[in-house]
Parts: sequence; structure tokens; C-alpha cells
Amino acid sequence: MPAVKDTLEQVAGLEKYEHGFVTEVEQEFAPRGLDRDTVAFISRKKDEPDWMLAWRLEAFERWSAMESPDWARVSFPPIDYQDATYYAAPKAKDGPASLDDVDPEILKTYEKLGIPLREQEVLAGVTGAPRYAVDAVFDSVSVVTTFKKELAEAGVIFCSMSEAVREHPELVRKYLGSVVPVTDNFFACLNSAVFSDGSFVYVPPGVRCPMELSTYFRINAAGSGQFERTLIIADKGSFVSYLEGCTAPMRDENQLHAAVVELVALEDAEIKYSTVQNWYPGDPETGKGGIYNFVTKRADCRGDRSRVSWTQVETGSAITWKYPSCVLRGRESVGEFYSIAITNGRQQADTGTKMIHLGEGTRSRIISKGISAGRSSNTYRGLVSAHPKARGARNFTQCDSLLIGKSCAAHTVPYIEARNGACTFEHEATTTRLSEDQLFYARQRGLSEEEAVQLLVNGFVREVLQELPMEFAVEAQKLVAISLEGSVG
Amino acid sequence: MNLDEAIRLRDPAQLPSRRDEDWRWTDLRGLLRTIPEPSSPLGPQAIGVGPFEGLAAESLVVANGSGPETLRVAPGETRTVILRHVSRGDGAHSARLRIEVGGGARLTLLESHEGGGSSLSLLGVDLTLEDGASCERLVLADLDPEAVAVVELDVELSAGGRYAQTVLTTGARRQRFETRLRHPGLRSEARLDGVYILAGRKHADLTSVVRHTGPDGRTDQLTRGFADGQSRAVFQGRITVQEGADGVDARMAHNALILSDRAEVDARPELEIYADDVACAHGATVGALDDDVLFYMRQRGLAETDARALLAVSFLGEVIERIDFAAGAERVRSWLLARIGAGV
Repeated sequence: MPAVKDTLEQVAGLEKYEHGFVTEVEQEFAPRGLDRDTVAFISRKKDEPDWMLAWRLEAFERWSAMESPDWARVSFPPIDYQDATYYAAPKAKDGPASLDDVDPEILKTYEKLGIPLREQEVLAGVTGAPRYAVDAVFDSVSVVTTFKKELAEAGVIFCSMSEAVREHPELVRKYLGSVVPVTDNFFACLNSAVFSDGSFVYVPPGVRCPMELSTYFRINAAGSGQFERTLIIADKGSFVSYLEGCTAPMRDENQLHAAVVELVALEDAEIKYSTVQNWYPGDPETGKGGIYNFVTKRADCRGDRSRVSWTQVETGSAITWKYPSCVLRGRESVGEFYSIAITNGRQQADTGTKMIHLGEGTRSRIISKGISAGRSSNTYRGLVSAHPKARGARNFTQCDSLLIGKSCAAHTVPYIEARNGACTFEHEATTTRLSEDQLFYARQRGLSEEEAVQLLVNGFVREVLQELPMEFAVEAQKLVAISLEGSVG
Repeated sequence: MNLDEAIRLRDPAQLPSRRDEDWRWTDLRGLLRTIPEPSSPLGPQAIGVGPFEGLAAESLVVANGSGPETLRVAPGETRTVILRHVSRGDGAHSARLRIEVGGGARLTLLESHEGGGSSLSLLGVDLTLEDGASCERLVLADLDPEAVAVVELDVELSAGGRYAQTVLTTGARRQRFETRLRHPGLRSEARLDGVYILAGRKHADLTSVVRHTGPDGRTDQLTRGFADGQSRAVFQGRITVQEGADGVDARMAHNALILSDRAEVDARPELEIYADDVACAHGATVGALDDDVLFYMRQRGLAETDARALLAVSFLGEVIERIDFAAGAERVRSWLLARIGAGV
């Protein structure tokens, strides 16, 4: 078991949160607070066309009349939306044209985080080694997107959202807000008003994207939030695999991350979306600080036989509120959701998925593994519904929760709505603690208690790890171990 | 939101609505614009005979909201009591009954909900079981299609005690059985089962909330049913295990069959766990009758209606087999057969 060995070695030399450093870089900010001027300021900074500003302002008006939702099983003091900065960007001369123009401090940051921003570095490996293109988002702006040229040769558009608004307005106007409507929910509406950067991907008909695409989100500035917006369109018969990673410095304040991710899969297209979320979780002892991760992610399987798969490893954030969903509209479209959510310290997670079966013969599969340790709380909340026309819809759901310690909590709240006589839904859930017998057996073989726990946990989440792309699977396995640090004994 | 107040004050704003998360599939405020006039009292001839007739000597009748308010079973005593909740006409009424079962006593409660007309009714029952006491409750509910009815039961279980219930219903215009059980653990056990057979435009909601407050408790739940026509079945089950309630073993299963394209089944089986040394699980399935099995049975010469009825009986029969009171189980089985014959 080399992977397990690797995990153990990794844990041995670990800090508690290794991405918690701050990068000293000259930045410019929007004035503190949120009003129409802030929205206009962001739009101006991004050099957006009028239609985009109008869209944002309308969202802002709608948001002002909305109330923060309180149904999730998480608790936090009311957020003062006026006491934050909605735009923070490294100072640059008209946006970096090439990597050489990027502030070396930022490059160093990504190097430290292990994100390859130089194309040749990626190529330096063995021939045939997997490569992936990166869009690096630093606070509110995208600092660099790699492999753009090579992707463009295949017809794939991979750029920051700001660039897409300027360069590909017809695509953006057609699809933006078509999966997650502006007023979908409180945080999505806020995002629509103040979204900063994120990635835009368009894969043309019949194209299999030649490499993995990835975006790496980094919150650096204090007192700010990140509101990225990602839009991925897979045209007929295309395929794309997209990875997302996120980290932030350790701070005593809570920072808001309210993102919106929209995926559109047309006929026979497939999108694989993987996330390794490792925002700063806050201090494990006092619960101070950490990111509020309030994210809306939704995929629209618009075309027949389209397929979307969400895989997520959620280890970070003080609070996670996130339900990556699939609207299965096309006939025989398929939605999948694989999730590992780990909470430790005083983290709170309320996460799950929605599978909405609208088309005939649609299928979905949900595998959720929740692990709670410390004084944390971990909730799976999901919805599986079949509408009257979704004859032959099938769903299989499995949610397992594992409890480590006396003061943590695990909840399962699945909603099942079946509205026709030809659908088959199966749901099963279990909540247990680590088996004493297995622990004893592992310890008898000479493993320390911590090692034994990690071994068993790795086994518990294996089904989901297998769904991750190779490079991420290794990183995710390490994260699982790090997140459970200090949960034993 | 308070149904009792809504009826007493005739204030529809107090009715639970789909905005109340626990009532999202059983919306009363959207259904009733006004609260009907209070129901008038019923004479003995309007009450008739109930489905458990002859199984117990003692019978309590709550008719249009009036009837006895308490029932006390002395410590060590064993009693079988029929409780009939009868509604007639188109008024609104509510009643509350307090049942106390003394230490070591055993109560078998044979409860029926009858009539209904187009009334709005609420029956609230507070059931307290003292140490070592046990209670088995069998419920048969067969209401008119226009009735709106809610039955709320609060159970206080004690150490070494046992509470078991089997609720069978054919639904109503809107109907809800809500059971809230405080489970102290300490070798006490609870079984909460249900069966629904819905056709036409009927609706039935079986909701339960089990709160494990102490260690070493057991809960076992099995609900099965089928929905035909344009009916709607709702199952909501929540099992909470509080901090310190170690050694809890809780299982919940809900299996539904949808027999028509216009019927709906909604389910929410919840686990809320604050203790680590527990074994909790739930399973929920929704599907159609197996065509292959039907085909096989028809090949063997059974008419389609008979084949479907046979499948339905075996599917629901597993719930009936769990009933302890044998004479009651027999009565329940024939009640069920009569309704399956008509319903499938």
C-alpha cells in the first residue's frame, strides 16, 4: 500500500495548515462596503460592456431585497456585508500579458502551493506524463492562464471569466445565469452582483479536451471575500475534465467565499468536475477565523445522453454550504456525485447534492462519505426527485458517516420525491464509529493509533478517491490525513 | 404554527404550511382558506361499530372532539383498550387524551379513526410509560376522501420499557400521523411501523421523531405502502441520538411502490447523531411492482388483479408479522385484505 505509506510519511512532517501563509504583494482594493458604486467599480475595473454592468446592477437590486437563508444546519453570527471589500487585486500594469509580467511574489506563492504555472515545468516530466492547464485566480483576478495556445489549436476556449466577457460575449450572454438564475438563492444573487473572476471553458462539438483543465483559487487579502464565477460549456459530443483547488491564509477573521459554478452539457457531452477544497478551516481549538464557503454549483445536462460527474473532497472552510447538483433534462442523461467531506476542530459542513430527473431514462448515482472529528458537525443534505415525465429514472444513493470522538456530530437529511410510476430510487445510509475490532487488529500489526485511524479512514473513502483524476487523488489522500490530525487521543 | 389553536381560534394563519420544513409535503394552510365551524356533538347511533369490535371489553370513544380525557393503567396491570376516534359532518374539532401506564404494566391500545365526512380534526395523545411498562398500539385509519385529519402522539418511554406501534391507513384528503418519542435508552425499545394503501386523490403522511436521550436504546422502524391513482404518500422519519447516548442501535426502513404515473411518494429519512458509539442506519426505496414477477405469476394462470394483490399482500405482510398481539394482527390482516382487493 504505497499510497497509505505516503500518507503516513506526509503526516509525520506536517504543520496543521500548511497553506496558511500570506503573500506580501502590492494590492488595490475596492472601497469597503457594498452598494451600486461598488458594483460599478468592479465592472469598470474589469472593463466590462454595458450589458454586463446592467446585469450586475439588476442582481444587486434583487439581492438587496433578499434575506440570508437559515435552513442549513450551521450556525454563525450575522455577516455584515458592508464590512468587507469586494474587490482586491494585485497591482499590475494593464493586466499581465505573459508570465514574466506577473509579480514574482505571486509566482512564488503558487510555487509554494505546488501549482505549475510555467508550461515548460509541466513538460519537463517524462514524455507522455499527464499535463494540465491552470487558470490561477488570486483574490479577485485571474493572474495567469497556461496552455492557452495549445488549447486554442484544439478549439477549446479556456480563459478567465473577465476575458470571456470581453472576447466571447455571445457565449457568455447565452449561457451565464442559464443554469443558476440570478435570484436562485441569496449567495448566488450576491455573486451575480459582485463576481470577480473565475474560469470560462468552452469545448466545441466533438472535441475531447487534450488536457486536464484546472483553476486554483487563492484568497490572500485580509478583509475581503472571493466571489468567483465559473462557466463550463461542453458542446455536442465533447469531453472535458476540470479540477478546482482552493486555499487561503490563516486569519482570525472570517472571510466569505460565495462562488457560482455553472456547467452546461449538450448532447452526448461529458463534463467531469473535481474539487479539492482546502480553505483555511479556522483555529481548531477556538474556532476563530476560517472561510465561509457558501457556494452554488449546478450542472444542466441539457442534451440527450449527456453526462456530468461531480467529485469533491471537502476538508477546509470553517463553514461549508454547498450542494453541487445535476438537472437531468436530456433523455438518458447521467449525473454522478462523489463526495468526501471531513470536518475536524470546530468546522461545520452542510453539503450534499440534488439530482433532479426531468428526462426519460435518466440515471444518477450518489456516494457520500462524511467524517466528523473533534467538535465539528457534518451534515449530508440531498434531494433526489423524479418528475412525471422522467419515466425509467433510476437513482442509487449511499451516504455513510463516520464519527471519531465524543463531541462531534453527523447528520443525514435526504429528500426523496418520486412523481411517476416507473422510477426506481434506492437510498441507504449508515452512521457508525471506527470499528474497535479493526483498530485493534491494525494496532496489533504495529501501527500507532493515529496510523491505524488513517488506514481505516482511507479504506472508508476509497470509493470516492477512485473517481478523482490521478494527480488529485494523491493530493486528496494526503489532505484526508492532514484534516484528521489531532482527532485521536 | 399551532393546529390546536388554529381550530380553537378559527384562525387559518396558525395552520402549518409548506413553508414549515416539517410540513412541506402536507400543506394545510394552502388547502384550507377558512376553518370550519366547530363540530356538533354526536349521538350514540351516529357512532356505530368500530373495526376492533369484540377484541376488548373496554372501549373509549372520542366523537367529534368529545370523549374521555384520561386513561390510567395501574402498575403491574395488563389491559386491552379500544380507542375509537369518530368524526362526522363538516365541522372542526380537536381533542386531547392523556394515557398513563404504571410501572411494569402492559397496555394494548386498539385505535381506530373512522368517518371523517369533510371535517377537520386533531387528536392529540400524551402517552407516558413508567419504568418497565410497555404499550403496543395498533391503528386502523379509514377516513372519507374529503376529511382532513391530524393525529399527534407524544410518547415518554422509561427505562426497561417497550413501545410498539403499527399504523395502517388508507389516507384522507390530507392526513398526518405524527409520533414523537422520547427514548431514554437504558434497555428500552421502540418499534414504529406503518402501512399505507392510497388510491384516488388521497394523501397520507407518516411522520416520526425519535429522540434518544440515554445510552443503550433500540429503535426499529419499518414502513411500507403503495400509492395508486393520483395519491400522495409522505414518509418522514427522524432519529436523533443526543450526546452521551452511546450504544444506541437504530434502524429505519421505508419501502414504497408507486402503481400509477400520477401518484407521488415523498420521503425524508433523517439521522441526527451527536454520539460516536452508535449503529444507525436507514434505507429508503421507491419503485414499481416488478413486471417480471407479475409475468411469471400470470404465466402460472393467475389473473393480473390476483397477481398484483398477492404481491401487495406479501409486500405489506412483513409489517403485519411484526405485530405482537395475535388477535389484533389477525383483525388487521383481514382489514388489509379487504382494502387491497379494492385498491390494487
